[in-house]
Amino acid sequence: MANETAPTANTQLFRPGYHGHNQISARTLGFWLYMLSDALLFTALFASYAVLDTPMNAAGGPVASQIVNPIEGFWQTIAVLGSVTCYSLATVAMKNGKRGGTAVGIIAAIVLALVFLAFGVNDLATLAAHGDGMDRSGYLSAYFVLILTHAIHMGVGILWMLVMLVQIPLFGFNDMVVARMLNLRMFWQFQATIWVCLYVYVYMIGA
Amino acid sequence: MRLKSYLALLPLLALGACSSGNYQLFHPINAIATQEWHATIIDTVVMLVIILPVLLAIAIFGWRYRKSANAAYDPEWSHNTALELLVWGVPFVVVAGLGIYSVKTIYAIEPYKPGLLQKQVSADPQSVLNVDVINTDWQWVFVYPKQHVATIDELEVPKGSVVRLRLTSTCVSNDIYIPQLAPMIAVMPGMRTRDTFDAPVVGEYTGFGADFSGAGFSWMQFATHVVSQADFNAWVQKAASSPNQLSYAVFQKVAQPQVNVGAKVSYFSNPDPHLFDKVVAAARAGVVYPVSAKLTKSIGSNEK
Amino acid sequence: MQLQVPGPWSPLLGRLTLNAIPYENPILQVTFAVVALIGLVIVGLVLYHKKVGYLWREWLTTVDHKKIGVMYIIIGLVMLFRGFADGLLIRTQQVLANGPHAAGMLGAKHGFLPPFHFDQVYSAHGTIMILFAATPILTGFQNIVVPLQIGARDMAFPYMNAVSLWLTTAAAVLVMISLFVGDFSQAGWVGLIPLTELPYSPGVGVDYWMWAIQISSVGTTLNAINMIVTIVDMRAPGMSWFRMPVFSWTTLSTNIIGLTAFPVLGVALALLGADRYLGTHFFTAGMGGNLMLYTNLFWIWGHPEVYFLILPTFGVISEVIPAFSEKPIFGYVTMVAATFAIAGISWLVWLHHFFTMGAGPDINGFFSVATMLVGIPTGVKVFNWMFTLYRGRITYSVPMLWAMFGLFLLLVGGLTGMMLAIPAINYTVHDSVFVIAHFHCMVLMVVCAGFAGVTYWFPKLFGFKLDEGWGKAFFWTFAIGTVTVFSAMFALGFEGETRRLDWTFNTAWKPMLVVEEVGMVLYVISLVFFATMLVVSIRNRHKQRLAADPWGTSRTLEWLTPTPVPFYNYAVTPQVNTRDELAWRRKYGLENTKPDVYEDIHMPRNSGLPVILGALAGVWGFAMIWRIWWLAAISLVGIVLVVIIRSFDKNAGYHLQPAEVEAMERDLAIGAIMAEQSDRAHHHTHAEAH
Repeated sequence: MANETAPTANTQLFRPGYHGHNQISARTLGFWLYMLSDALLFTALFASYAVLDTPMNAAGGPVASQIVNPIEGFWQTIAVLGSVTCYSLATVAMKNGKRGGTAVGIIAAIVLALVFLAFGVNDLATLAAHGDGMDRSGYLSAYFVLILTHAIHMGVGILWMLVMLVQIPLFGFNDMVVARMLNLRMFWQFQATIWVCLYVYVYMIGA
Repeated sequence: MRLKSYLALLPLLALGACSSGNYQLFHPINAIATQEWHATIIDTVVMLVIILPVLLAIAIFGWRYRKSANAAYDPEWSHNTALELLVWGVPFVVVAGLGIYSVKTIYAIEPYKPGLLQKQVSADPQSVLNVDVINTDWQWVFVYPKQHVATIDELEVPKGSVVRLRLTSTCVSNDIYIPQLAPMIAVMPGMRTRDTFDAPVVGEYTGFGADFSGAGFSWMQFATHVVSQADFNAWVQKAASSPNQLSYAVFQKVAQPQVNVGAKVSYFSNPDPHLFDKVVAAARAGVVYPVSAKLTKSIGSNEK
Repeated sequence: MQLQVPGPWSPLLGRLTLNAIPYENPILQVTFAVVALIGLVIVGLVLYHKKVGYLWREWLTTVDHKKIGVMYIIIGLVMLFRGFADGLLIRTQQVLANGPHAAGMLGAKHGFLPPFHFDQVYSAHGTIMILFAATPILTGFQNIVVPLQIGARDMAFPYMNAVSLWLTTAAAVLVMISLFVGDFSQAGWVGLIPLTELPYSPGVGVDYWMWAIQISSVGTTLNAINMIVTIVDMRAPGMSWFRMPVFSWTTLSTNIIGLTAFPVLGVALALLGADRYLGTHFFTAGMGGNLMLYTNLFWIWGHPEVYFLILPTFGVISEVIPAFSEKPIFGYVTMVAATFAIAGISWLVWLHHFFTMGAGPDINGFFSVATMLVGIPTGVKVFNWMFTLYRGRITYSVPMLWAMFGLFLLLVGGLTGMMLAIPAINYTVHDSVFVIAHFHCMVLMVVCAGFAGVTYWFPKLFGFKLDEGWGKAFFWTFAIGTVTVFSAMFALGFEGETRRLDWTFNTAWKPMLVVEEVGMVLYVISLVFFATMLVVSIRNRHKQRLAADPWGTSRTLEWLTPTPVPFYNYAVTPQVNTRDELAWRRKYGLENTKPDVYEDIHMPRNSGLPVILGALAGVWGFAMIWRIWWLAAISLVGIVLVVIIRSFDKNAGYHLQPAEVEAMERDLAIGAIMAEQSDRAHHHTHAEAH
């Protein structure tokens, strides 16, 4: 047995007063692990997109260079990064204990995220209206589902922000609210990162 | 004691393994299947060299150090650097050896260009017989492009030939398999795969689909005959005289989901020369041969 | 955007019509009668004994990791029974439907199951055994044992733990519903592509399969997060990484696999769902789809999933063998290293599930060698268990018998696994029953470890041991049945029998098919012994007075708690001084030392939300399967609302007072209370917390 020593007078068998783990840090670790699984989800989607991004998989329909619009995508990128910045400013306001400032930051983040989503939805709706919907080809299926999955994540983030807008005035900046705000910040930055990957891989390399 | 009791059951395995000629894999016919069977034996022997002593040691330790035996007891012994290096080393050596062997055999038998048959193919290209195999729900269509004949559920090859199958499917995926002759290879819609085997001995075999493909899957046998060159020529004549011609339109009827109970053989003359490519192209263009819910449910009962 | 599905569809009921109920099938009539009877008896008993409140308070709403674990195992055992019944049907059909002249009945040409029914049975068998029997049983053990083993009071997220359980339950219920409403998938547990696409599987079967797995895998992913955080954050003081019991190590590695692999399965199934519901072309043969993409994605999850099952199994064996050999595990550090080596390699071998795909020799060569690499750490483990026996003092109690038989199966499975890793051999047996026999050796090792674990940890939770005599009878019939069935199946593989045949066309297979059926009869007998063991043990439960460590030779921390374990686990957090803490304390006569002072304990409060969430997920799954869009929308909104409502719960929990803890510990020591009576303390403290 490793490191085995006989007990001495100082050997402790119990640890009264041991407070165990910190709930907030456990939640943070748990949230990181969730994001790891989410990253794997996007990895699988990106891999599927890469496999289906060939002229053969376009099945006579449009290929990436014919549908992606890097200019529009650029404005989307600006919107999403702006949203992250606004949200980060909200957490700065939270650090200073300013509820009003926090709320303003969150609302700005929501508005910019909605702008982002409007661009994306308009893009997909236009394609579908021209008969190039997700049922047109394997390539378009991958394109639509990758973008929609990201959009759904953004939607969940917006919902989360709305909940925080209720909880902050209700509970104040208590431990759980602060922890949720910080996890949401990670989530939001993570979605922005995914978008940047998506923009580079789908919009820039694809164009 | 208990351990030995179930060790005593091991002979059941051996008993099963040693009996008669039903064990098709023990009786390979051609070079490919022989290589596969040799690989089976070599791998088993090498692994048993490790596993049998381990089983034996477990049995001996388990018996000798049972509580009631009052044997030597060392409640602290749990580490020995030399032994631990050994337990990593032995499996490593075995895996290294088998790994090299495995890679070598892959090249020897790989279905696109088996190393074992390359000599014959380059020495006598005439001995190569090309057959296009099309899997449907739930039949096998064999097209002989050079002989201008086609069959359903019968594969006839001349003795001494190297048979190169081109494989595709109209509908779902399957595996083609002829025990003793041809390795299992996937047959997929919209894709081409290959399977290659030699036919050194005259004989009759049963080939079948090995990967589940829906309700009629269990009925997907096809007769495989290795015959003399003369018999093969006669067979081609017979098939070529069939009044049924396999145009693409006729093929589309053949490809409708249906169970060929008893694997009845049909012959066709003048198959569409581009049938295989047309099938691949059609599958890629999204042509499917749907299986209706009704057909799925009633299969088997209405075939009586 | 909704895709046209064959058959009627109405806005109110979707595809659901009266025809979906297979009332004309006698097999299902009998099954339904039996299930309904059992259900009525259970409900009747609960009502008669007025236990509805108890059930709700103590079980359905519990956040106690031990009770959640027990419920996981109960679900697993029920589904194991269902899966076994399916296996029995498969074996019986194959032996009856042998050769062209086999008689047919009940609408089948040969045997008694038409393909339509047989294909569902074998698909359900695989899906159930892997995802709804083995996974919940092992998750149950991890839930019960790990917090105890690392000296924690609960999991890191007790509430999320309950959510995981109820999601798994909802998925299992969906699989069971498919028996009586509609039908199950006929495309194998792997979802053979493009057979699962709408043109070839127009019914709801694939949808049942797909959504059930999807819901349960969300539960599994959440559970993985929970387990990892628990192990990383909540070990008792003094328990450094290399003092952690091997079972906890295997739990950690297996959940890292689970966390990273299950999202890939989620994507594979979601894309298949998009194909079936939205008309996309991910995996179709035509229109630019790529069907091998599905196969790759599925096995990128599927192979790690195998190790997701095997690693905790190794963990159980690594706990049982030292305990009954009265020795520490040999080569602890290499054991841990081997565990992580297996977990790591598990990501690199998925292609060996389709060597016959027609990939080039370089690709097959790489995956062949990678697959063989798994043999190295696995071999290390076997050697280490072997040396653990050396100079031990071995008692062949029931758990030890199961562990030893598991070892035997591992060796047979390993031998045949190395054969399958060589493509030259794989080409002859790839889709044959040889493969089936191989992986049944492996999963039956999981089952063996399951029963080893059940017998080993049972007294810790319930305060009485399972009957040894009936346990041994159960073990021996089960073990001999296993050897009989699967040696015959290996033989059939060499006779060229392929898998999933509802009609076994070759009459030469008959003798071995009969041998298999004999083995199945042994399994049935073993089940009778299992049931007898449970009944006898429960009836005789008061005859035993068990100490903290009922086996007397256990080595790890979980046996330090009183037997049965109180709901708060440890009255005072233990200080860990060494690996195998209990063995060390026993050696120096400290195992019965109690803490000097007690202190108040903070406990999480029960919640009804997880079970409601599970129910909503089940309704959502059902609505999606039958394409009842309004119901799907409502239940999805309900799920979101439940999550939001929970976030408004301040989740304060409650405190147990030191005097109460001391009293309960005293009562436990003299056997005055059983674990389940702890609700007395509960009500008491609920009142105080406010």
